[in-house]
Amino acid sequence: MGEEVKGEFEPRIIGFTCNWCTYAAADLAGTARMKYPPNIRLIRQMCSGRVDPLFVLKVFLRGADGVFIGGCHPGECHYMTGNLSARRRYSMMKKLLESVGIDPKRLRMEWISASEGIKFSDTVKEFTAQIKGLGPGPFRHIETEGKEQK
Amino acid sequence: MVKGDMYLAQASDEEILKQGESGGAVTALLKFALDSGVVDAVLGVKKRDGNNRYDAVLDLITDPEKVIDCAGSLHCVSLNIARNVKEYLGGAKQMKIAVLCKPCDARAIIEIAKRKQINRDNLLLIGLNCTGTLPPVVAKEMLISEYEVDPNEVVMEDIEGGELIVTLADGTKIAKDLLELEKKGYGRRDNCRRCNVSIPTLADIACGKWGVKEGEKKTFTEVCSDKGAEFIDNAIKTGVIKVEPPGEDAIEERKRKDREAIELSNKCEAEDLKELREISLDDRLAYWLHMFDRCIKCFSCRDACPICYCKKCFLEPDRGYVKGGEVPPDRMFHLTRLAHDGDSCVNCGQCQDACPAEIPLTRLYLMLNIKLSPMFDYVSGMDVEQKPPLIAAKDEEASIDDIDIFLVKGEAGEVVPQQ
Repeated sequence: MGEEVKGEFEPRIIGFTCNWCTYAAADLAGTARMKYPPNIRLIRQMCSGRVDPLFVLKVFLRGADGVFIGGCHPGECHYMTGNLSARRRYSMMKKLLESVGIDPKRLRMEWISASEGIKFSDTVKEFTAQIKGLGPGPFRHIETEGKEQK
Repeated sequence: MVKGDMYLAQASDEEILKQGESGGAVTALLKFALDSGVVDAVLGVKKRDGNNRYDAVLDLITDPEKVIDCAGSLHCVSLNIARNVKEYLGGAKQMKIAVLCKPCDARAIIEIAKRKQINRDNLLLIGLNCTGTLPPVVAKEMLISEYEVDPNEVVMEDIEGGELIVTLADGTKIAKDLLELEKKGYGRRDNCRRCNVSIPTLADIACGKWGVKEGEKKTFTEVCSDKGAEFIDNAIKTGVIKVEPPGEDAIEERKRKDREAIELSNKCEAEDLKELREISLDDRLAYWLHMFDRCIKCFSCRDACPICYCKKCFLEPDRGYVKGGEVPPDRMFHLTRLAHDGDSCVNCGQCQDACPAEIPLTRLYLMLNIKLSPMFDYVSGMDVEQKPPLIAAKDEEASIDDIDIFLVKGEAGEVVPQQ
């Protein structure tokens, strides 16, 4: 994390975004020159339903401070019900994180359609501020190995 | 006869009546199932070598005369019936089997059936009431040190009204308070303490002795499905069992005992999970990480878990989640299992029984399951038609925009008190 200013905590947030909506919204936010914190790293998925709970867990265990999932509004899923499954998994994950002792507030989900660039940048601002308030994630000290685990 | 009917049943056969514990109705029914060809085999539990109450084996019986070997209940054994049906009997896809099961076994079978790894249609589930089982080695120790009897003298154990009652060969009965014993580290298995399903109404027939008068050799039988109704009808017609309707007081008595058992389990659950619930998130995480680090990666929990459904396990090194050859394994090992099975855990305790490092896995799973169950309005293992909650998105959900529809309002952001 070369860009971190020494002394101040800069959260590392991983965002799983749906190709058809939130990823496009992020793109829109970018082309419209909207400002939002650079703490979020987006990983494009074809659908929020593709976000396996294991992705979230692995990301936390590898040192992320927060995880964001962005999907299409209910009823607008490109694959009909992918986002509905995602919402169920997200609800389960909140409780799972709480059961093992990871603050569930570190996980956030939001519906952001392709036209909602402002909502995307606002959400990222808000979430980054929230994670900053919570402090470093429980596995932040772990150095990522930077190579594919086999 | 229809679903919901209740009877006091008794075997007609003299020999079975003598050998069976509560009138031999279950044994008679199983024998009838084989005789009449309703099933190809019976999966029962019998004492090892015919006399060892503390060790038992599963037996696939095809000879009706041998069914009697399984007569009598064993409290010190908890075999993994569901997993055995799935792994070693081909998920009952090729043969019809009558399975004797405790509530947790039946629930596990139903959960596997939902995942299409057991054919529920080929199974006749004969459920037996259960108020808990004891770990065999601990039970023996307890009998020697607390009851001061020779474990081999014991002919019957029973858990009734919060007491563990042991009957010896000469007819002496010794009763001791169950919770007192459990405080000393004896008593039931860890998960059984917190189990709140005592009457397996999710099986085809639920049998037990609650509601039967003291000293009477009869079995209280409840018909719980159409398949069970048809089967019992035929059994009565052939005359293998004699039935009489239970009185109002008997039904009430059974209900009362069930309520008492649920109250006791709720009390134990509150007691056992109190500390874990109250400590801060950081302490909780530290506790579980400490527990996970005891893991020697033997895969026993995975192999024992009846719910573990992946054909190709995510814990294998080539799946990229858990590195091969590392002990203790990556934390993903236990978290993956929790994410996969937490919503459908039936609290059978097989994982914890199998764990050589004694990680209190059932507490972790139960803690999660208790939260998920009301959220998704889903009790695992109760209804074979109900899909597992994570894949059961309903059409009407498509018109609800709220992210937190399953979470209690305001809970998503405020689950944890602010420091």
